[in-house]
Amino acid sequence: MLEKDKLRKTDIYSGAAICLFGLWIIVQSLQMPMKDSWGGVQNVWYVSPAIFPLFVGCMIMLLGALLCRTALKIVGFNAFRETVRWLLSKALLQFFNSIPNLRFYTIVVLFLSFVFLTIPRIDFFLSAFLFLTVFITSFYFDDAAILKKLFFFYLAGIMVLILYFALGLNDPLSKVVPFPADMLTICFIVSYSIFAWLLVRSNPVLRKKYRTAMIVAFVSPFAVGMIFKYFLLVPMPFEGLVVAVTDYFWYLEF
Amino acid sequence: MVIFERIGFYFQTVFHIASDPVHIALLFGSVILGIIFGAMPGLTSTLGVALLTALTYGMDTATAMLCLLAIYVGGTYGGSYASILINIPGTAASAATALDGYPLACKGEGGRAIGLTTTASAIGTIISMLFLVSISPLISFFALQFTSFEFFLLAFFGILISGTLTSPDLVIKGWISGFLGLFLACVGRDLLQYYPRFTFGIPELDSGVEVVPVLIGAFGIPQIIQVLKDQFQMGETQKFQRILPEFGTIVRNIPKIIKSALIGVGIGAVPGIGEDIAAWVSYGAAKNASKHPERFGTGEYTAVLSTEVANNACVGGAMIPLLNLGIPGSPPAAMLLGALMLHGVTPGPMINFEHPNFIIEVAAILLLASLAMWVVGMLLAKQVVKVLRIPTQIFMPIIGVLCIIGSYALGMNIYNLYLMLPVGIISYFLIEMGYPIAPLVIGVILGPMADENLRRALMVSQGSFMPVFTRPVALVLFLIIVWTVLSQFPLFKNYKNKIVAKIFPRRAAKAALLPKRSEEE
Repeated sequence: MLEKDKLRKTDIYSGAAICLFGLWIIVQSLQMPMKDSWGGVQNVWYVSPAIFPLFVGCMIMLLGALLCRTALKIVGFNAFRETVRWLLSKALLQFFNSIPNLRFYTIVVLFLSFVFLTIPRIDFFLSAFLFLTVFITSFYFDDAAILKKLFFFYLAGIMVLILYFALGLNDPLSKVVPFPADMLTICFIVSYSIFAWLLVRSNPVLRKKYRTAMIVAFVSPFAVGMIFKYFLLVPMPFEGLVVAVTDYFWYLEF
Repeated sequence: MVIFERIGFYFQTVFHIASDPVHIALLFGSVILGIIFGAMPGLTSTLGVALLTALTYGMDTATAMLCLLAIYVGGTYGGSYASILINIPGTAASAATALDGYPLACKGEGGRAIGLTTTASAIGTIISMLFLVSISPLISFFALQFTSFEFFLLAFFGILISGTLTSPDLVIKGWISGFLGLFLACVGRDLLQYYPRFTFGIPELDSGVEVVPVLIGAFGIPQIIQVLKDQFQMGETQKFQRILPEFGTIVRNIPKIIKSALIGVGIGAVPGIGEDIAAWVSYGAAKNASKHPERFGTGEYTAVLSTEVANNACVGGAMIPLLNLGIPGSPPAAMLLGALMLHGVTPGPMINFEHPNFIIEVAAILLLASLAMWVVGMLLAKQVVKVLRIPTQIFMPIIGVLCIIGSYALGMNIYNLYLMLPVGIISYFLIEMGYPIAPLVIGVILGPMADENLRRALMVSQGSFMPVFTRPVALVLFLIIVWTVLSQFPLFKNYKNKIVAKIFPRRAAKAALLPKRSEEE
């Protein structure tokens, strides 16, 4: 949580945003049938599907306004002006470039790419392996300079994957090569691992950490995935190359 | 006769579970997993229950409850390990334990402290289990008299009180969080007319927001971001010798144990308030009642005892409103509610008719879980403590994968992931800005209940709100809500103090003197 005085400053903005959000809920609710007929049912106001969202919207708007007012009362308009000035200054750029924020971006980018890009399109084991490899190596080395380099390398790889799927290359390539997206991901994992190795090879402590990270990143998806896929019978979100191989061995008749 | 029959069935259930090796293995496995989740700073029993819910999907309800309750009990207790040995609370519930537990470990009495917390936690859970069994029929009986107005007001009260008591900053933020949860519950087709609300034409939103992915996102993702962003480092673990059950200390402090257990059960039964508040309140009460309050914070056994009894007693306390009213008493209980719904059990006043022995089964599981926790604590504590050596940078990404596969596995719907992640990121920002997350989750859970009952009540009364004032229970709930809201405003506090001063002049004079004295001190 932020410090008290910073909290009050952010309360002005969060209160205003919440107030507007409440207003949006009210506007949306007013478009719902209040007295009209819906599905053959003639509505009266107290049975309307709008009544509860309207109540919630009004409360959110009221509380948001109250929060905004309370914060303004405590910190005053000067603090509000100071914040606006800070938002327009170079300090904002420095804030965005700070190391804790870089760590935040890395985590968010990793999660977003894992959930929205790789899981729906690439074999689960490979996407989880890639996610864990990047996640663990980025943070376990505990070095801001390495984190920055690894993050940008990962970002570049993700851009390649986005382009690959956006250009629709997967379908024509899959007629020539089996599991082309999975192959591309394997190439990405290998190149990332080599890049990370090159960054840490001169440091014996980091070399040890690198080995541990790679082992954990490799073993965990298999342990978790196997339990879900073969013991709980949950099909993976996307089954590709690795699932095809594990299926082959799992259902092999000896 | 009915009471004897129930007692008989209770012991029958205990023996049935205890005689099945698979159940025993699951019980001990889940307790150990719970302790590990509780012990690891950054992981919580709520997250443990959330992740295990996905694994229990294929099990029958009783076995699933066995696993989930065992992880809940183990997780609540496990937090004390990190509190005592590294002075970092494993969970918020054990933060109060660190105050006296760590000084004890520094004095070389870590083994005794862990032994005491183990026995105290087991006793706390067992006492709360007794309350669960004895109070549930009464609450169920009263709840059957409730009409839609009462249920709406009860849900509303649950959100308000949760917002009031869990907010780390301004109370308004707790309420906003609760109403945001209510808004999320509005998404999807409404239950009475099937009208699509806030779905934006997305068919996956028609069935509404899934509770379990929201819970996993709201509790799991912010935790991962916080721990890794702030570069959380595990401290040096204090060494400890043999772990002793400390029966002597327990026997000498029976009145204090009962008092702490009552606090735990009482706070657990209040909707949405977790074990952390129970532990702090109990710590405060023990300090106030102590002949040597100055010793608190320097390694006092009664302090450790009071916090651990209270936070584990909260487990059974939280089950009381959960099972009888369908209102979760704490965040892990909210997760349990989601799990129960997945297994086709709808908690509420009808539970005694639809599943006549369910509450007794839960009580039997609580007893066995507390015994398993005690055994594990006594025998395996040294081994379990080794998990504190695992760096957070390694286990947090794995928890991330578990959150994702867990959310997906419930319903095998990839859309759950698209929901879980944004909820997680938004929750992170809300936490950073001082908004509590528990009311949001309680709002998502109680939203459908509040919505449906409000409209049903108005339908019956033809749009009139008069039944709120003519029905005694509704009126009491309404007055409590009004009091809860008004008591947060300084103007009301001033008026209240003036009125109190007029009615009780001596007490007011005493109260006015107290702050002066403390200032002088």
